[in-house]
Amino acid sequence: MRAKQTIRRHGNTAIAIALLTVLILIPVVMVLLRSFTVDRVFHPLNPIRTILEGELAEVLFNSLQLGITVVIFTTVIAAPLAYLTSKTELARARWIDVALLIPFMTPPYIATMGWILFMQPRGVVEEYLPFLSIFQPLFFSFWGVAFVMSLNLYPFIYLVIKNNLIEITGSLEDAGAVHGGSFWYRMRRIILPLLLSGYSMGALLIFVKTLAEFGTPATLGRRVGFYVFTTEIYQYTRMFPIDFARGTALASVLLITCMLIWYVQQLIANKYKYSIVGGRSGGRKMYSLGKFRFLGWAYIGLLLLVSIGVPYWSIITASLLRFWGADITLANITFDHYIELFTPGTLGGSSLWNSVYLSVIAATIAMFLGTFLGVLIVRSRGFLQRFIDSSSLLSNTVPRIVIVVGLILLWNSPWLPATIYNTAAMVAVAYVVAFLPYTVQYVKASYQQIDISLFHAAQVSGAKPGYINRRILFPLIRPGMVSGWIMTFIISVRELVASMMIRPPHIETSATFIFRQFDQGVIPLGMAMAFTTVGITVVVLLIVQGGQKQLGNG
Amino acid sequence: MKASRIVVMVIVLIGLVGVFAFTAGEPEESVVVYSAGPGGLARNIAQGFEEKTGINVDLYQATTGDVLGRLEAEADRPHADVVVLASWPAAFALYQNGWLAQYEPENADKLNEGWNYDNYFFGYSASALGVVYNTNEVDDPGEDWGDFTDGRFRDVVAMPDPAQSGSCLDFVTGYVLNYGDEAWELFETLAANGLEVAGPNRPALDSVVTAANFVVLAGVDYMTYGAMAEGSPVDMFYPESGTVVNPRPAMMTSWSNNPEGAQAFLDYMLSDEAQQFVADEYIIPGRADVAAHPDRVGYADIPVLDLDWDWMAENQGEVLTRFQQIIR
Repeated sequence: MRAKQTIRRHGNTAIAIALLTVLILIPVVMVLLRSFTVDRVFHPLNPIRTILEGELAEVLFNSLQLGITVVIFTTVIAAPLAYLTSKTELARARWIDVALLIPFMTPPYIATMGWILFMQPRGVVEEYLPFLSIFQPLFFSFWGVAFVMSLNLYPFIYLVIKNNLIEITGSLEDAGAVHGGSFWYRMRRIILPLLLSGYSMGALLIFVKTLAEFGTPATLGRRVGFYVFTTEIYQYTRMFPIDFARGTALASVLLITCMLIWYVQQLIANKYKYSIVGGRSGGRKMYSLGKFRFLGWAYIGLLLLVSIGVPYWSIITASLLRFWGADITLANITFDHYIELFTPGTLGGSSLWNSVYLSVIAATIAMFLGTFLGVLIVRSRGFLQRFIDSSSLLSNTVPRIVIVVGLILLWNSPWLPATIYNTAAMVAVAYVVAFLPYTVQYVKASYQQIDISLFHAAQVSGAKPGYINRRILFPLIRPGMVSGWIMTFIISVRELVASMMIRPPHIETSATFIFRQFDQGVIPLGMAMAFTTVGITVVVLLIVQGGQKQLGNG
Repeated sequence: MKASRIVVMVIVLIGLVGVFAFTAGEPEESVVVYSAGPGGLARNIAQGFEEKTGINVDLYQATTGDVLGRLEAEADRPHADVVVLASWPAAFALYQNGWLAQYEPENADKLNEGWNYDNYFFGYSASALGVVYNTNEVDDPGEDWGDFTDGRFRDVVAMPDPAQSGSCLDFVTGYVLNYGDEAWELFETLAANGLEVAGPNRPALDSVVTAANFVVLAGVDYMTYGAMAEGSPVDMFYPESGTVVNPRPAMMTSWSNNPEGAQAFLDYMLSDEAQQFVADEYIIPGRADVAAHPDRVGYADIPVLDLDWDWMAENQGEVLTRFQQIIR
């Protein structure tokens, strides 16, 4: 029986490796191969040469400049907030963390559109807040791109800093205080060094996310003539005249940069790890803001207003206007655009439906595949385990646009006898490949929490492996599977870059619809779709989580 | 315990429904049409064709750059049977690649003169460029391109970016072809007067609708007439020194899997019905015997520049570079 189990395990490992190789590894390798070889000759500097000869150095510089600026902006925004909600009496306001999920859950391209509508000439600002229009030229420039991206990304670095601050127990600070350290001295010598490892992880994460982001540069950046890696990759692989040499060269450099940063991040994480969680943990040291409390609240209020209020207010009002540019009066308000989206047969209606069903399929496939991989990773050991683990999480590290270019290179190859390229299935496959890591991680996490003795008890009681899986394993990893499903669904339903690049001719998704309406068509209709898409993700989240809770109780 | 199974079953069920919906998607024997240009028109023509012939249409609707990019990316595994673009020179590029098949559709003899390239591609419709202005802000718009160089129009005149708008590039190139140095002087004076060059056609028009700019040079006519019909405070005229009328070409591919379907589609594009759809969108019909929309200026009354599309295709890169140097 043991032999049979081993065979099956080997079989499963082989299947997992084969699947990951075809789905993820080959596409990524194809991007690299394509950019490093010219006329079948390999040269390690080819991508750089292509970029320099193609006058793309500016793109490289733009991306790096944007990454660094966004890291600085997000830090400046998030650090005071993290301090307020961890070290002062404002920590009691737990709802702040929940509210910060909103900018995090809003797709960057939608938030950016909201901001453009807000700032653009004769937009909200000029009409109602004329004193702010001095910022208009500043917004329609590099700084606006960096600003909007920072408003989308700061919750990441906020959570990192906050969790770190919470870990620093009061006893460390007290020790500093007892030895006569002033507030600033304690900041400098105790808190900041302890923060460094966590912060550098967060900062590098933001940097990578900025480099890999397509939505904001594609909506605002292209409008103001600011081009970065992702928009240029899109341009060269999708728009006339197509130039795969330049496109893949940029993709490779982007890929390698991101990989390097992840590597550096791991190094830092391992090197600067202080063990600050001792046996006894003292309480957190809290500072009272006293009469300056209102300043703390004002800061939080302003932040939420800017990162949530502004984009959503612009999107919602725009979606209700009969036509864009009209004054906001009762006569100009209409629900027609929403009605159109829910009318079968219209372009909007079918786009929405395409997004929903493709995301359901992708989420379902990703859930089963991710569970299979996650369980396999926890159960196996050694090199193969590490291989499966890192390749199933690869899509987390590799920018999405690079994976998508790889998928196109592979599935559109002339030597393939048959292909799903140019069918709806290809879109679902792209979503699965891009978002597989979520399910794998969630399932792994829930599996690792299960006490091994449960399995031993079952074995001792004579349960067969299938029975153990059904009655012990699956019920316990179910929350992980469901979270994976939700996350995949939510992100797929609004996914822009994969949809734009891979959609077959007759399939339009909600994201491509929004993008095109905003760019060339009816802005209110696009904004109605934007609000509906975000609404759907929230509703699905609430329903599934509510269902989970009910099941847990029942 | 049972509850967990219910969750899994529900999810599987939803997945199966999805798979069903998605395999039921693509019927056989359809005509694949890649079309640029106004989405409403492309869809009306596709639907009209489906109703009339019973042949299914797979419509990919995007911008000209997008459609060309897709054709190029798919060159090894081509897909499209019919291609419809918004730019005449772009069709010429496809012809030079050897990607087009010759076919003379019904009613081709009724096309406007010069709107048929040897039966490889033909202009089933056309758009013209003009001066669009906000009627609340501008009482006396003048008559020609040169009327927007004085102080009255400082910092309120815009133009679509020729790098992003093919029709605007055609205008700039065509104007340079006709007027040479005089054209460059005009662009320089306009630039000195604060001409804003940004974005594709639609945002440029929107900026006049919302009075962010008072005037757009080289604005697309059918969009303007559409905005007027919606009640926006805009109007337009065609400058007397001439403008560009860009026939929007339709063609079938040499690799088409369904040539009969593609031919039927081209026939339909020149039918009375489809030409009427064209006119309804305020676009100039391709057939000389079909009247334009009563609320717009007809083709015969638009002062047109002498256009040599071959020269323009060859020189537009150079013209664009010089134009951008003037603007920046």
